[in-house]
Amino acid sequence: MKAIDLHSRPALATGVRLQTDRVTGEPVLLSPEGIHVLNDTAHAIVLSCDGIRTIEEIAAALAEEYDAPVEALREDVLACLAELHQTGRIVIS
Amino acid sequence: MPGGASSNGPDRHLVKPRPYALLAEITYRCPLHCPYCSNPVQYPTGRELETAEWRRVIEEAAALGVLQAGFSGGEPLLRPDLAELVAYARAAGLYTNLITSGLGLDAKRASALREAGLDSVQISFQAGEAALADGIAGARAHEKKIAAAQAAREAGFALSANVVLHRRNIDQLAEIVAFVASLGATRLELANVQYYGWAYLNRAHLLPTRDQVIAAREFVAGEKTRREGMEIFYVLPDYYEERPKPCMNGWGRRYITVNAVGGVLPCPTASSIPGLRFENVRERSLSWIWTESESFQKFRGEDWMREPCRSCPERERDFGGCRCQAALLTGEAENTDPVCTLSPHRSVVDAILQRAGAGEPSSEWTLRQNPPLSPSPAPAG
Repeated sequence: MKAIDLHSRPALATGVRLQTDRVTGEPVLLSPEGIHVLNDTAHAIVLSCDGIRTIEEIAAALAEEYDAPVEALREDVLACLAELHQTGRIVIS
Repeated sequence: MPGGASSNGPDRHLVKPRPYALLAEITYRCPLHCPYCSNPVQYPTGRELETAEWRRVIEEAAALGVLQAGFSGGEPLLRPDLAELVAYARAAGLYTNLITSGLGLDAKRASALREAGLDSVQISFQAGEAALADGIAGARAHEKKIAAAQAAREAGFALSANVVLHRRNIDQLAEIVAFVASLGATRLELANVQYYGWAYLNRAHLLPTRDQVIAAREFVAGEKTRREGMEIFYVLPDYYEERPKPCMNGWGRRYITVNAVGGVLPCPTASSIPGLRFENVRERSLSWIWTESESFQKFRGEDWMREPCRSCPERERDFGGCRCQAALLTGEAENTDPVCTLSPHRSVVDAILQRAGAGEPSSEWTLRQNPPLSPSPAPAG
């Protein structure tokens, strides 16, 4: 599998859908693999996966939006997307 | 059932059982005759649910908290109203998955399903080449499945493939994986036969030897690192495990199955448990059946457990294993799944494994038969 890094451009894989759980109100990623509940950070990250922006750019934008240090966010964003990539929920280009 | 509502989500809400996935077995009819089919050998009697009845079931399921609907069977494409049912499920906010043999999936049907909002297509294959595959399916199906896979991809679906593994195809894994990759699948599920329904009947023909299972596991482990762009999932035959599978993530806890004639079951094979009576959506609401019915409450939680499960710390992980397996192999569904080496009945499983090591019987396996012809609902739209 192609390694994921800060220059990767993530997008949701075909057949993966972001939706709100009507019972809990939480955002969930639905796929043939099952149900993956997203916390607020993961939700913001997934919403940024447009297949155009790199992970570096996504981290920078989120750092600005949440007024957080970009170094720490870079780690979080990469770790979150690496997990989603590992389970086939996102693809990278 | 492998896969399903796994991962981090559902178990964070342990307060109350909540169904996350609905398996809709919309017909028992099928053009294939696979000897490991998990459908019941004794089909329930009655007429298939009609379109309006399925619509109600789907909407009630969504209201209960279900997030995913799997359309299965039998062969779900035999229902002319499949796209309509998918559209109802999507309108109710469900993720929709088609679990199919592929027979009947041409370009027109695939694009109609895509337009109806179908999220995912999983096509079964029996082997990596036609002669073996068609022998297993008891029908000339392999070439049609290849065409179906192409139609699914061209309609824009990510293709999932499922190959059930057993004694007669598990040694061909290299060929199988290469074949499925050549179809452009992004996901391959290699699930060993689980012994229920027709598979239980044919177990002596299907159960692989220990050597076969070990070789397969090693091959898949290597293949997972070698293959690009295709996720591979491998499910062991649980007889070779030392601990039982957490069947259905617990009885009446995460899953609902509604069968072709409206029976509501905690798992697709629960009708194999003697003495258990299942409710029907024609008589009761899904909500009542989920919360109140005897069948769903019977093995929910831990009160039903006997030793060694009752005092075992692992009961929170495996829920005592599979009730159907306990009933089939020990005669009582309340017993610990005999796959568990802590079960006093483990010797039953060991004896079966020993026979598997001694060779396959010379008799032929029994191909799955369709249910007796019953009137199917009028075509919709």
